[in-house]
Amino acid sequence: MLARLERLLLDLAVIAVIGLGLLITLSVILRATLNSGIPDTVVMVTELMVAAIVLPLAATTAARAHIVVEFVSNYLPWRAQDWLVVFGSAVGLAALAPLIWAGWREALHVIESGSFFFGQLSLPKWPGRVIFLFGISFCWIRLAVMMLGDIAAIRAGRPVIERAPHIPQEEI
Amino acid sequence: ETRLFFGEAGPNRGARAETLNWFVDDVARRTEGQLVFDIQWGGALFKAGAAAQSIADSVADAGTIIAVYFPQEMVAYGVADLPIKNSDAWVGLRATDELMRGSDAIKQNLADQNLVYIGTFTTSAVHIGCKGTAIRSVDEIEGKKVRGVGAYGKTFADFGANLVSMSIYDAYQGLDSGLIDCSQGYSYAVAALKQQEVMDSYTLLDWGQVGALGVFMNKQSYDALDDAQKEALAASGAGMADKMAELITADNEAAIETMKEAGVEIIELPEAERDRLVERSSSYIDEWVAQADAAGLDGAGLLEEYRGLLEKYGQERDAEGYPWTRN
Amino acid sequence: MDGTLVGLVAFAAVIGLLALRVPIAFALAGVASVGTFVIFAFRTGAFAPERAFRPTSSLVFSNSFDLIHSYDLSMIPLFVALGHIAYKADITTAIYHAARVWLVKVPGGVAMASVLGCGGFSAITGSSIACASTMGRICSPEMLRLGYDKRLATASVAAGGTLGSLIPPSVLFIIYGIFTETSISKLFLAGVIPGLISLAGFLIVIFVWVKRDPAAAPAFTGVITAREKARAALDSWPAVALFVIIVGGIYGGIFTATEAAAVCVSAAVIIGFAQRKLTFRALWEALRETCIQTTSIFLIAAGAKIFVAFIALTGVAPDIVTAVTEAQLSAPLLLAAIAVIYLLLGMFLDPIGIMVLTLPLMVPLVETYGFDLIWFGVVVIKLLEIGLITPPVGLNVFVIAGVVGKEVPIDRIFSGILRFLSIDVLVLVLIMSFPVLSLLLPATM
Ligand code: NA
Ligand code: NA
Repeated sequence: MLARLERLLLDLAVIAVIGLGLLITLSVILRATLNSGIPDTVVMVTELMVAAIVLPLAATTAARAHIVVEFVSNYLPWRAQDWLVVFGSAVGLAALAPLIWAGWREALHVIESGSFFFGQLSLPKWPGRVIFLFGISFCWIRLAVMMLGDIAAIRAGRPVIERAPHIPQEEI
Repeated sequence: ETRLFFGEAGPNRGARAETLNWFVDDVARRTEGQLVFDIQWGGALFKAGAAAQSIADSVADAGTIIAVYFPQEMVAYGVADLPIKNSDAWVGLRATDELMRGSDAIKQNLADQNLVYIGTFTTSAVHIGCKGTAIRSVDEIEGKKVRGVGAYGKTFADFGANLVSMSIYDAYQGLDSGLIDCSQGYSYAVAALKQQEVMDSYTLLDWGQVGALGVFMNKQSYDALDDAQKEALAASGAGMADKMAELITADNEAAIETMKEAGVEIIELPEAERDRLVERSSSYIDEWVAQADAAGLDGAGLLEEYRGLLEKYGQERDAEGYPWTRN
Repeated sequence: MDGTLVGLVAFAAVIGLLALRVPIAFALAGVASVGTFVIFAFRTGAFAPERAFRPTSSLVFSNSFDLIHSYDLSMIPLFVALGHIAYKADITTAIYHAARVWLVKVPGGVAMASVLGCGGFSAITGSSIACASTMGRICSPEMLRLGYDKRLATASVAAGGTLGSLIPPSVLFIIYGIFTETSISKLFLAGVIPGLISLAGFLIVIFVWVKRDPAAAPAFTGVITAREKARAALDSWPAVALFVIIVGGIYGGIFTATEAAAVCVSAAVIIGFAQRKLTFRALWEALRETCIQTTSIFLIAAGAKIFVAFIALTGVAPDIVTAVTEAQLSAPLLLAAIAVIYLLLGMFLDPIGIMVLTLPLMVPLVETYGFDLIWFGVVVIKLLEIGLITPPVGLNVFVIAGVVGKEVPIDRIFSGILRFLSIDVLVLVLIMSFPVLSLLLPATM
């Protein structure tokens, strides 16, 4: 269920990237050939950027694609490393929490006040804010589920991170 | 001593920074060092697009808000960005400041957003510079690729310009490479960004200003001050308009000289042509009135008041000259 | 509450959390949030946590949202996509094959070609991160496939990416120009020679590396005929075409540097389909990979941005500059002190953040010493570029790590970076000692 939703969000982000690429290309072509353009391209691209960057957060989390430094932890026993993964998720949950609360307040604010962007189309500000809130919240849930799963795995004696054989350190 | 944090999205150079520093020094002088500001330049705390919310939430006690980023929240202030015929910086600044300071409706509208108005320091009159071409009449706007902003840009589009979005900092390369034919701008900014190197003509429009840019405070931070401090803020805030006008008027004149030396043709748009711009852009003024009404303000009334203030300060200037030229 | 103390504790906390394997983005955002909360809670003197929630959440939100909500940065996902699509469409493999057969006699020829590619790409993008993301996706996997030493295959591109801001166009020079009111076109010209010297330095590092350890870059052992060489060159036409489109488009006034990314992706897709090397399925997969990679880079950048805002609140940066001002150093010592400050800040903060925090105070200081601001700009940008590849927070290294995934751990990349850093320090000393290197070209204007 979670995995399918993540895939869906990732695909929506792909559509956002395609959208902003096409939008910019089209406006270049229109300018170069017909000396015309698409109004408020900049606003639409910035809103699509939010979707492109924030919607894949949960999938990135699930793929354990957040970049970490393993230089020190590599010297620790496997079990300790597994617990560090749990610790990293806990820090992540704490770090994302203020963003969710702030994102909620901001989304509510722009919806209630009817804020819009200055431009030819006066596009509303809420879509980007709502997508941001949604993406971060979903990432938070994914991280929480993963952390609980990792704890359960450690308790059951299963590994959390791959037990790759230690690579001998080459000289620097 | 009360130390207030101030968030400013711009750099600590140029007329705007000089005016802000003057304001800070003036407040300190009036309060005998009891009220001091600690300025964070360059958007280190928040960018221009987040200023209103950040000040309201007291990320900083005070800061600069540029109305164009908040067409809804700063609708009243936006009157200073409208194409209302006036190209005199001092007249525009004083009129804007008095409107913002005097209107109870605006005060209440800002208080609802947890904000208090302190003072205005605008950019200035809108003109347009071109490369390889020139705008001598309104008809010549048609078919040109123009970097335009606000209601001015919309009006250029109405006259057949192809609006190209780019920042004022990218305009140099845009003009140089031929990506754009013309760029809307302010005289002092043309010189500051060395655009005279890539311009062949500069048309003085005498059309209006972009002026809704000023200092606001968090309401709690403001309410916590004593009366003497509030008075000092009001006096220094109002003084900013004079200070900024003095600096910007000199800068703009110097910039025109720089352009002439660089071989840029300075064109004054004929009065009849200018009237066509004013007439066409009036629909955006009507649009603004509707937006202000929707926000619970009396749009037509504010506009009327603003026009009256422009008139009043125009007469004061004609009769007595600028404050800095009076002895 | 002493802001500087809070700031220093925060730097230590970030190092500690990173050592404990906490994802970099979470470490930066988490520490910055807590630190911001502490500062807001103590702002009136007494501890008042109830007054800290709103400003903290507002600061955290606006700094992360505004970073993502950016038109200019749209070039990053698009250039990353270009790398992925060009790979799937065999465009990159073709150019690597060409580089390999043509540079067969040159030790580490493909790594050198990668660095030269970075130099060429720098001429079309103003962002080091965009440069490293695109070239990283194109170069590192190919070098790994050819059996190159993992450190060489990754570090060369991470270092090469730092040319992005030294060789014009350059976002960092634009921001520096705004802060110092110096001519942006002069700054652009000033960066050219130091950029080329840096490029030459990287080539020397690769040359020495492979000379001392030939196994680091397996040489091509087969016999290559002139016919094969010609064939390889012809096959690499799509890459050449893309480059011509970008350069011609930007300098010919058809599109901006930001728009170039989108146009180039569209062109790559068309070429890929026309050559029947790209399928819809492969394109979609390339874009999924693009999204995952871009997201992890942006999450770190957002964490770094929040951290910058927090550091602004602490007042650490002005305190440091004030200390240097009061020390009344001689000019060479001042320059050395500035270098140390920027390198230290560069360990943690992003280049733009460092500039907005330090320049307002630094520029008046160096002006009293009579330094040329154009030359000083080149020195600052070079220092900031070095910061992109120094541990613990080296954005360019993270970008490459995001590309190669689990195959090459971060510390391996950093260990390869050390050799490039040593030459960077030499180049820096050169730029500092001989201002003429920076000022020669602007003087022709
Ligand atoms: Na560049
Ligand atoms: Na670093």
